[in-house]
Amino acid sequence: MTDPMQIFDPTALARNRSGASRRVRSGNTHAEFLFEEVADRLLDRLDDVARPFAAALELDARRGIVAAGLRDRGRAETVIAADRDAGFAERCRHAGLPTVRAGHDFLPFAPGSFDLVTSCLALHWVNDLPGMLVRINRMLKPDGLFQAALFGGETLTELRACLMDAELEVTGGVSPRVSPMVDLRDAAGLLQRAGFALPVADVDRITVTYTSPFTLMAELRAMGEGNAIGERLRRPTRRAVFLHAAQLYADRHAGPDGRIPATFDVVFLHGWHPAESQPAPLRPGSAANRLADALDGKEASAGDSVPKKPN
Amino acid sequence: MAEDTQQTGQDSTDAKRPGVDRKLLEFLVCPVTHATLRYDAEAQELISDAAGLAYPIRDGIPIMLPEEARELKAD
Repeated sequence: MTDPMQIFDPTALARNRSGASRRVRSGNTHAEFLFEEVADRLLDRLDDVARPFAAALELDARRGIVAAGLRDRGRAETVIAADRDAGFAERCRHAGLPTVRAGHDFLPFAPGSFDLVTSCLALHWVNDLPGMLVRINRMLKPDGLFQAALFGGETLTELRACLMDAELEVTGGVSPRVSPMVDLRDAAGLLQRAGFALPVADVDRITVTYTSPFTLMAELRAMGEGNAIGERLRRPTRRAVFLHAAQLYADRHAGPDGRIPATFDVVFLHGWHPAESQPAPLRPGSAANRLADALDGKEASAGDSVPKKPN
Repeated sequence: MAEDTQQTGQDSTDAKRPGVDRKLLEFLVCPVTHATLRYDAEAQELISDAAGLAYPIRDGIPIMLPEEARELKAD
């Protein structure tokens, strides 16, 4: 039996990512375009942070695009790439990055090590995201920045609905096929709960069109983003389910050119390790001046009725 | 398919074996106990005495995964 507390199956996830890294290592980076696009957006956002980072870490670094970008843009002195997958770690090392193989549950970094921790399109596979955010926060120095992108919101909403409807019609039941997604409000709340200061979460919607739903599904697998839900159907799905889902997808969403759109909502997380130098609200009751003075009015104590103005 | 992984790192001390980045080692602790590690350059291992585990370094990449670490015999 799978552990009900583990939404995602780590073994399936490792297999999916290792398939993706094999493809990348053989020179086929066609399916990597979303990772490249979002890495660019992350780097551009990091350019808005005025100060340089002495030590930076990219988690689930894949080919280390963000890490190499930080180095090449002169934003960080030391940039470390971490990835659990042997093939991706080899790619990072090949890109000249100090590289380590590490997973989510056991992070091999001392508390207060980094000025920046970043991650590009990987945290949506973490089973315990609140715990992961706490561990990331712990690795940061005071006033260190965490900035990451992950799939969330309405990502693959079209595919999710079509697969569900098709499976229900053809087999009379449904099985989980598209991951549950974190929404924007949850994301900001999680950052706050993990103890980040000045937490911000926002979303970029990227709509990609494909020749058919089959191309979309093949590409998701090539990205290493295939179904790794613990409770997924373990036997092969009947072909009729996919054929019907493809028909529904085309009927509902196809454009005049026959191509079908797929929604990707990229949630950007942004938070700082607390430091005294950061702007913070004053403690209640610590005001040095009376509001009544500032308003040039007469102060009435709480509970008293406000005296009527004489006419 | 799989390409040759025998490329040599710039910081290699051994022509046949790409060395590990010394700066990187300063950041690493045992992922299980968070204790500091001993670097065994000869064996290419990072040793956690507290956890009784030796993490291998292959092709200059420390493998900080408890399930891939060698268990140290207590004697």
